[in-house]
Amino acid sequence: MPLTLPELLAWSTLGALLAGLGAMLGVRHLAGGRLLGIAVGLAAGMMLGAGYASLTAGLAAAPLFTLLGGAIGVIVTRALDAGDVLSADEPAGTIGPTDAWLAVRASVLHSAGEGITIGAGAAIDASFGYFLIATFALHNLSEGAMVANVLRGAGWSGARASAVSLATRLAQPAVAAAVFLLGRAVPTALPWLLGASFGALLYLIVAELLPQSYRQAGRTAIALGFSVAAGVVALLAGRNG
Amino acid sequence: MNEPGVGLVFLYALITAVATGLGAIPFAFVKSVSPRAVARANALAAGLMLGASLGLLQQGVRHGGLATFIGANLGLLFILVTERFIGDHEPQFGQVKGLDAKRMLLVMVVMTVHSFAEGVAVGVSFGAGIALATAITVALTVHNVPEGLAISAVLRPRGVSVLACAGWSIFSSLPQPLMAVPAFLLVSWFAPLLPYGLGFAAGAMVYMVLVELLPESYEAAQGREVAMIVGLTTVAMLAFQQYL
Repeated sequence: MPLTLPELLAWSTLGALLAGLGAMLGVRHLAGGRLLGIAVGLAAGMMLGAGYASLTAGLAAAPLFTLLGGAIGVIVTRALDAGDVLSADEPAGTIGPTDAWLAVRASVLHSAGEGITIGAGAAIDASFGYFLIATFALHNLSEGAMVANVLRGAGWSGARASAVSLATRLAQPAVAAAVFLLGRAVPTALPWLLGASFGALLYLIVAELLPQSYRQAGRTAIALGFSVAAGVVALLAGRNG
Repeated sequence: MNEPGVGLVFLYALITAVATGLGAIPFAFVKSVSPRAVARANALAAGLMLGASLGLLQQGVRHGGLATFIGANLGLLFILVTERFIGDHEPQFGQVKGLDAKRMLLVMVVMTVHSFAEGVAVGVSFGAGIALATAITVALTVHNVPEGLAISAVLRPRGVSVLACAGWSIFSSLPQPLMAVPAFLLVSWFAPLLPYGLGFAAGAMVYMVLVELLPESYEAAQGREVAMIVGLTTVAMLAFQQYL
């Protein structure tokens, strides 16, 4: 039994709002440097765990379309990716207005990719949908902190950085709702969407989250945190999916 | 399921080991390989190993999710402890100038110890069928070429011949056939160990991707380029396993 649209919108919006809490920590520099790097590494691991759950669900339904969707997800996300985002650890004055807007655009892209995963998962069944919403809600804490941290580094006020960081996360419920409706109306599109979400998440993890977290926390800490987070999410998804 | 023989397991693992020697070939024509080419090769290997690991996990979960999870963490721990034991002094590609004999030995030791986990991966994958074993072997074969490249890049400037570079590269991967056979026999005789073994191999490979291949790729290639290569090769590897 899948979720209803109002349930999906309500819960995924609530999950997106957690980014606001993360943003407040980010602008107050309560979560910066190595701590933020580890949080981003954990968030990236959670993304891979959720992506793996999507992939498995798609492969069980239609392997070929899921894998084609995966390749499309990688290519489309690459086409939409504007460039490498700087972290707030860059030397003072390095982060300019262009970098700040690049971070905003990257965060919207991240949210959209995660929204596809939530929407496609929720269209399969309610427990999988709730699981993905909860996973990305937790993930939003560090995403919110990371974006706010970069915006603050670009000289934005704390309130503005927090508000914009939170706003970028709202693409998550919006895209989730659109994908959910598409998946319910055209069930044959679901394997494509599940595959595309895996491809998009994998691209975003490797292109942006891992390089930044390596810079801030070192490769061993990130490899350890990422692997364990991905494993826990994949294991729990197996129980709920 | 057709029962593969010990000879076949040994042969597959030997192929991955011999592939390491291919990494020395470019040094027969050039004095050095560009860091960007190595970064791309590492990204390619990372994608293939990630795809292979996801396949191992899928197979493992069919036999027990929790056991696979425990196995994956043991695999991760194995590589972590090994690295801690050896020390975090692995030389970077491109910094070969001035390396002394001790450092050369360290590269060899690091590569050889990693090969233990890779041998286990080949061995236990046979427990889940020949298709998965072939996919894992292909992934590790491709992965081993840049490893041989890295070893040769250290040895060649020290005056070691191309043939000897290939020999030392293959030597570093010899634990693969040696570990593959006992790992295969273990999961064949004690079937309940299969998900632990599959998880162990996946965990060890994912950790190696994260701690070595990706960081080294980022050193000479942009994140977006690395992500494109990793993303597409992961999907290709998953397709290979699905339709083999």
